[in-house]
Amino acid sequence: MVVRPSSAPLHLALFLPWLASERAVLTREAEPGRPFALIEKQRGALRLVAVDREAARLGLDPGLPLADARARVPDLAALPHAPEADRALLDRVVRLCGRFTPLVAADPPAGVICDLGGCAHLFGGEEALCAALRRQVRALGVTARLALARTGEAARALARFGGEDVRGLPIAALDIDEEIRRALGRAGFLTVGEVMAQPSGPLAARFGIGLVRLLERLAGEADLPLVPHGPPVPVRVEMRFAEPVGRTGDVLDAIEALVGQAADQLAERGEGGRAFAVRLHRSDGHVARLLIETGVPTRDPALVLRLLRERIDSLADPLDPGFGYDTIDLTVPRTERIEERQPGLAEPERQAGQDMDALLDRLTVRHGAETIRHLAGADSHVPERAGFLSSQGAPQGECDWTPPGEGEPPLRPLLLLDPPQQVEVMAAVPDGPPRLFRWRDRTWRIVRQEGPERIAPEWWRRREGHAGKPGLSRDYYRVEEAGGHRFWLFRHGLYERETSDPCWYVHGLFA
Amino acid sequence: MACSPEAAAMTDGPASYVELAVATNYSFLHGASSPGEMVKTAVALGLSGIGIADRNTVAGVVRAHVAVRDLREAEALPEGFRLVVGARLCFADGTGDIIAYPATRFGWGRLTRLLTLGNRRARKGECILHLPDLLDHAGDLLLIALPGADAGVLARLREAAPGRVWLGAAMHRTGRDARLLARARALAEKAGVPLIALNDALYATPEQRPLQDVLTAIRLHRTVGEAGRALLAHAERHLKPPREMARLFAACPEALAETGRLAGRIDFTLDQLRYEYPHEPVPYGWEPQGWLEHLVMEAARDRYGAVLPDKARRLIDKELTLIARQNYACYFLTVHDIVRFARSQGIFCQGRGSAANSIVCFLLGVTSVDPMLHDLLFSRFMSSERKEPPDIDVDFEHERREEVMQYIYRRYGRDRAGIAATVIHYRPRSAVREVGKALGLSEDVTARLAGTVWGSYKTKHEGERAREGGLDPDNPQIARLNHFVERIVNFPRHLSQHVGGFVLTEGRLDETVPIHNAAMADRTFIEWDKDDIDALGIMKVDVLALGMLTCIRKSFDLMRLHGLGEHTLELDLAADDPAVYKMLGRGDSIGVFQVESRAQMNMLPRLRPVEFYDLVVQVAIVRPGPIEGDMVHPYLRRREGTEKPDFPTPAPPHPPDELRAVLGKTYGVPIFQEQAMNLAITAAGFSDEEANGLRRAMATFRNVGTIDNFRGKMVGGMVARGYDRTFAERCFRQIEGFGSYGFPESHAQSFARLVYVSAWIKCHHPAVFTCALLNSQPMGFYAPAQLVRDAREHGVEVRAVEANHSDWYSTLEHRRDGGLALRLGLHRIGGFREDWAERMSAARAAGGGFTDMEDMARRATLPARALRLLADADACRSFGLDRRAALWEARRMPEGELPLFAAMQARELGEEPEVALRPMTLGEHVATDYQMTRLSLKEHPMAILRPLFAAENVTPCADLRNRKGGERIRVAGVVLVRQRPGKGNAIFITLEDEGGIANIVLWARQFERFRREVMAARVMLVEGLVQRSREGVVHVMASRIVDRSQVMGALSGGPMPPPPTHAARHPRDVRLLPPSRDFH
Repeated sequence: MVVRPSSAPLHLALFLPWLASERAVLTREAEPGRPFALIEKQRGALRLVAVDREAARLGLDPGLPLADARARVPDLAALPHAPEADRALLDRVVRLCGRFTPLVAADPPAGVICDLGGCAHLFGGEEALCAALRRQVRALGVTARLALARTGEAARALARFGGEDVRGLPIAALDIDEEIRRALGRAGFLTVGEVMAQPSGPLAARFGIGLVRLLERLAGEADLPLVPHGPPVPVRVEMRFAEPVGRTGDVLDAIEALVGQAADQLAERGEGGRAFAVRLHRSDGHVARLLIETGVPTRDPALVLRLLRERIDSLADPLDPGFGYDTIDLTVPRTERIEERQPGLAEPERQAGQDMDALLDRLTVRHGAETIRHLAGADSHVPERAGFLSSQGAPQGECDWTPPGEGEPPLRPLLLLDPPQQVEVMAAVPDGPPRLFRWRDRTWRIVRQEGPERIAPEWWRRREGHAGKPGLSRDYYRVEEAGGHRFWLFRHGLYERETSDPCWYVHGLFA
Repeated sequence: MACSPEAAAMTDGPASYVELAVATNYSFLHGASSPGEMVKTAVALGLSGIGIADRNTVAGVVRAHVAVRDLREAEALPEGFRLVVGARLCFADGTGDIIAYPATRFGWGRLTRLLTLGNRRARKGECILHLPDLLDHAGDLLLIALPGADAGVLARLREAAPGRVWLGAAMHRTGRDARLLARARALAEKAGVPLIALNDALYATPEQRPLQDVLTAIRLHRTVGEAGRALLAHAERHLKPPREMARLFAACPEALAETGRLAGRIDFTLDQLRYEYPHEPVPYGWEPQGWLEHLVMEAARDRYGAVLPDKARRLIDKELTLIARQNYACYFLTVHDIVRFARSQGIFCQGRGSAANSIVCFLLGVTSVDPMLHDLLFSRFMSSERKEPPDIDVDFEHERREEVMQYIYRRYGRDRAGIAATVIHYRPRSAVREVGKALGLSEDVTARLAGTVWGSYKTKHEGERAREGGLDPDNPQIARLNHFVERIVNFPRHLSQHVGGFVLTEGRLDETVPIHNAAMADRTFIEWDKDDIDALGIMKVDVLALGMLTCIRKSFDLMRLHGLGEHTLELDLAADDPAVYKMLGRGDSIGVFQVESRAQMNMLPRLRPVEFYDLVVQVAIVRPGPIEGDMVHPYLRRREGTEKPDFPTPAPPHPPDELRAVLGKTYGVPIFQEQAMNLAITAAGFSDEEANGLRRAMATFRNVGTIDNFRGKMVGGMVARGYDRTFAERCFRQIEGFGSYGFPESHAQSFARLVYVSAWIKCHHPAVFTCALLNSQPMGFYAPAQLVRDAREHGVEVRAVEANHSDWYSTLEHRRDGGLALRLGLHRIGGFREDWAERMSAARAAGGGFTDMEDMARRATLPARALRLLADADACRSFGLDRRAALWEARRMPEGELPLFAAMQARELGEEPEVALRPMTLGEHVATDYQMTRLSLKEHPMAILRPLFAAENVTPCADLRNRKGGERIRVAGVVLVRQRPGKGNAIFITLEDEGGIANIVLWARQFERFRREVMAARVMLVEGLVQRSREGVVHVMASRIVDRSQVMGALSGGPMPPPPTHAARHPRDVRLLPPSRDFH
């Protein structure tokens, strides 16, 4: 009987054959009860990247063009392949494995390899560990095939191809260049064991030293170290005091020092923090927490410190040091990469942007992110769609408004009436300018006008918009009445072409 | 609310307006209406004229020209309506757009040269122009600077084109129109140029704005919803009536009047591009017509003797007179010149199409059908009423056509010879895909709607297609997609070069039409297509490529080389060799020109050709025209004699047997295009020109209205003459089918000659024939595996690819018994290179055969990859190495090193431990043969699998012919072809096993049940009933289909575990057998 020393390397491999399709089920993208495939454009055609069990049962394999697949199974559903989402799910499985051993590595796209060396007994032996792991992975909604072997690669091959011994696996299980695998097949080798039985010299001469090394690893004669997976260690710095500190100035000095240390660590990583958390541990066990967030990643100590001061100043209950703090720590829970920017020649401009960022951060710290809004332009001809209130963060679809012509008054007023208010207007048909109008019980005689600016409705927003029913166009006029007030009026509907009796509205007032 | 009508009243009165900035859909993705639509709308709105100016192109102007001509002919064109043509120049240097109209023919030449300059310096499909280019080419051009131009540009333009510059002004409802107009006015005044009114129309009617937006979105690769202000704000860019324009320009009426003034200064029309033929072929001192007559008469005397038969003299006189009247002599001489060159180089060529109706073409050697022997309809080729020059298409060997094209460029110069364009239109599939993207539909949905398998968009109602794809056709998104697809289909998409339509001019070609770079290096093409060239009466010659001509030439070369005699294309057809007809009558026609498809093969035993004319019928009858017109069965019955030929007779006083003259040759059944036209002439009283118009209406325009007119006219005419209405309807239906798919008899005659020649070679020299076919690939209908198999069934010994015996191409080797054996060439090995093969042949010729792999590697300096491919193709048997041993040896030579070093190193590797390799099974060999060379001489895969199938009671395909009709049987084989022809009621599948093929028919309703099996199987088992036709053709009517592809695994080395789901597999491993030919 061979006794395996407890320190013998033992690897567990998981293979998740249905990862992509199970992910699609979990995210509810897949319609239940209908075979589906995940597709991607490859070599000019939409092709299947992964299929679910049902589609596989119907004989559809990854790599098949979608058109061919549909020719065979017309009701096949097709979903976009989402490798990031698959990877995220794989990472969850990896973290789950982390409960059993610290040495876990993802084996993308659909595998995990764990080094169980010395861990199995903690969970009642290998079998119990495997059962527990399988159950927990299952609970995630993912099917896993597990295999144990001395080396990671052997375990991996067994998980994928089944069986007890790598020697019995087909040569397809060799994780090596396709060309070499085919050549091995041509040479008549059917199983990994048959290749292993050959002298290594001739093999190396024909198939490369890589094959020989691979065979050694599969046989357990050599091993590759695992690069364990783990979340990156957060930046964390702390300061302990022999005597608790209580004076605000001392506390701030300590925080300043911590911020400086954290900034150095961030700089090493090429990252900046989007959030900074300070914990003040009072000697009686009470912990006070300060959290600030920034709009853009930063590692500028002065900025962070200023924001922390703001936070302290704006606290509803001011800090109560009591008998003083004996430990202060600072962590950076959210980080992002910082692109090092070379200061350009247009220095002031850059400064302006940064000043705005800094101001926004300060306002956010004081009043909360949800209270800060700014006006952004949107890409539309229709006035009420041409702008929106954007919250802080990365606003989407923002663009610039068209500037007025040189030396010309603005085309549109700054503020719009919402909704536009109907007015009675006298104007020439078919599309003459307004002469006078009644609004708010007053008659306004128009002395100057410019227009029309014709804006047709966005036909694609209407069901029949493409088929001759796009809605009513508007003719906008900028008008000035005798008393100097300026209005933005529009006629709703083109006379005769769209309506026989267009209405008029005032949509805004110019300053 | 009160309104004052005074503003409208103010501008009342007669207004005259020419819209001079009109973009059509030839401003690709910038305009939403066709040139014809623009012209018609402009006429309907009462404009005094229209100026077509597309973006850096004149590709659409001929269509507008034709639309005007059609209106004029229909007397629907108002007096004085002007079409002026030019281009909108868009510059790469930031200059604003400028519209240029040539005032004279000279100006047109300047414009086309300018555009050519821009095209030639850009990649295909682009045009790069800078302002100085225009200034250099401004002669006789009238220039309109579009709104936004600055004073500097105006000044430079005015200097280059004094008195010929205008500044455009538009009232586009921007909200600032009055300001802009005032500014433009001031600018124009300061620059000393007149202001001119424009609306810069992008579409004909305001309803087309959504379409325009979709086009813009497609152009910008965005969705309509995301395109934002890249779309125009409103629907104002349509053609507007003069009154409306007058109202818009009430403040500046002189700008409106200026449009008429500009148009009035234009003398140029496209009719002035009167063609002059190249003079080269006419020797000094001769007039073209005289030289042509001289050549023709000389040839006629050679052919028919010193005293011409009356018929020949009559035909020649008639044609020459017509040629003289139309001034086409140079055209015929030019074609003759090209053909003469090809002949002098030993390149086989032969005219096709309607030119074979002409005795002049025959005597000039352009065509090979002697009109003396056949009564052909000359007016199909050329008539005094037809305004366009005749159409002469000549086929050349496909591998040597380039030589002919280069000759044309050499002789006529690149500035005078060019290839016509082909306008690539939106097809339903591309339209669905691009419109779908613009509307924000996912690629999955559009792919489903585009219906990429079996069936085109048009043949089916859209709703049905959507439902089939699992989508609701009433869904507003889908309805919207269909709406736009319907409108965008047939929009031009881009220009490409025509396959071989050459245009030749006497003067510079680039002064007639702009020239573009083609995607191919050293190729250029003009921007008008065949229809445009026809419409303008410009001459073209189609220099086409035909694989069979290559094959026949190679056959004759091989026969010469191996002492089998000298032959030419003019093989003695009159001999009507019975052995050839006997072979064809069996349906034994694999590889034979035109009659090798399954439909043709099925027809052969029914038609049983016994003379040349039967081949002419055979070629023409298996076409959609005769089939849809239900002409095939009556013809066969009458020819067999089971039905009496029936010639419907008109009522008196018309001659009762007038149809006998038209349809006599084909037993009263119209089969050829000419017959259908003749029928219209004789029985329905059409003129020659009307008959031609009928044919053209079907072929090119597919205009429902026009066709209906002809239908009424023809059916009415025939009924009026006393013919039976159903007969008349049937005749018309057939003509409809002919439109695009029918053959003229002259064309069938030309093709039938090649049928005979290729059948003759196959019949008497099968080894030569197969060798030539293999060396002319890709061509024809069958894969090399079937060609080789067919050759072996005809007793040809086929020898495998071998390093010591094969050249690059397949060759013939002498057998001990004096016969010829076919040696497959190294070109059969996928990935092998011709230069390796040449080095091998050279090394063998210099120093004798190779003794072993090292010797070969060293003497032929082959890289390791070449050695591996040779070994893997099992081509090293003469070294005493089978595939496995050879590969073991070849892989020892490291890849990627210099061959010489590799070889030396290999020797120095010295002895190594013995490795026992398992011998390769036959199955593995066969599977590998297919992977490497797409065929195996060792065994058919099905032969190896036979025991497996025999146990399941599967009948070998060869046994089918001994089975009784109605018998229930099982057959199995490799899938060669899947087809769902015509209306799709039945699916045809061809299976092959080691002994023969089986023709499977599956009804469409069964297909749904077995869809997966039908579409996926490479090896298929079919259960069904035997059905025999009277002619002895055997089909299996399938009732059950099983996909047995997995048995192929058994070939390549024992049971294998199922492959993992995620492992990527090399396509070669997946494709154990070459894919079947599926016709979607």
